Amino acid sequence: MLENLKAAIFEVLETMFFLFPESLEEVGEESTGEALRAWVPVTGSRSYHAGLTVPMPLAQKMAANFLGCREEEVTSQEMEDIVREAANMVTGNFLSREQVPGAFRPEAPRSERIAGGAPRSPGHRLLFMVDDHLMEVFLERIA
Amino acid sequence: MAYNVLIVDDSATMRALVRKILAMSGFDLGGCFESANGREALKILEKHWIDLILSDVHMPEMDGAAFLQALRAHKLWRTIPVVLITTESRQEVLTPILRQGAQGYIKKPFQPEVIRNQLVSILGEAAATNVRELEGCDF
Repeated sequence: MLENLKAAIFEVLETMFFLFPESLEEVGEESTGEALRAWVPVTGSRSYHAGLTVPMPLAQKMAANFLGCREEEVTSQEMEDIVREAANMVTGNFLSREQVPGAFRPEAPRSERIAGGAPRSPGHRLLFMVDDHLMEVFLERIA
Repeated sequence: MAYNVLIVDDSATMRALVRKILAMSGFDLGGCFESANGREALKILEKHWIDLILSDVHMPEMDGAAFLQALRAHKLWRTIPVVLITTESRQEVLTPILRQGAQGYIKKPFQPEVIRNQLVSILGEAAATNVRELEGCDF
């Protein structure tokens, strides 16, 4: 499951954002800055949130690479939209690789701004170093 | 001949990306219209001549399947080529939509040249009059 999630992150970041993540086992000290957290609720035989937490400077870089513009031209709305779209693509790619049995339904991606660093996700969690920024990818079981 | 294209996606940034790829693809683009869902797209079709539609599948209000159904039921719009651009990969979801008459399907994430290749297969190589190298392009 986590291998498929990892593969999905690599494919989406490399193909759409021209970024090359490095997988990390664990980190000593995590970012405490502002971040964007985006996720896709997936309901079905297994229900969970699949998503990612992206520090603001990385969100800005992702948006600039995606839109083909300079980082200073990116608006905060575009950053949020891009991180939601990234969560959407990662989840779609993950579900495609995972071939989850039974009916399931991915909903529209959601996002929120997080001040003071990302809360440690209680579910499955992968960490990546992307362009010198720490990115978290998570799968959280929901009731 | 200039082609009018309609991009239907609830993500404004995805619409902006597709618009940029189209502009770089060498196609003689006339108007490039955008809408956030199928319902808005139908309103654009009432006002403008559209030659090609690139549409997402999962959208609020009217999704890609319902949009395609409305298109194919309309006597003037039923022949407009539609290409789906989506993260959806389940055949049980895609097959009924493709059977309704979508001409192609592009799975996100995608390389920019995939969109161009789809357009060439639908509109013909002659439509790509000013082709630039898209592979590995840095927008």
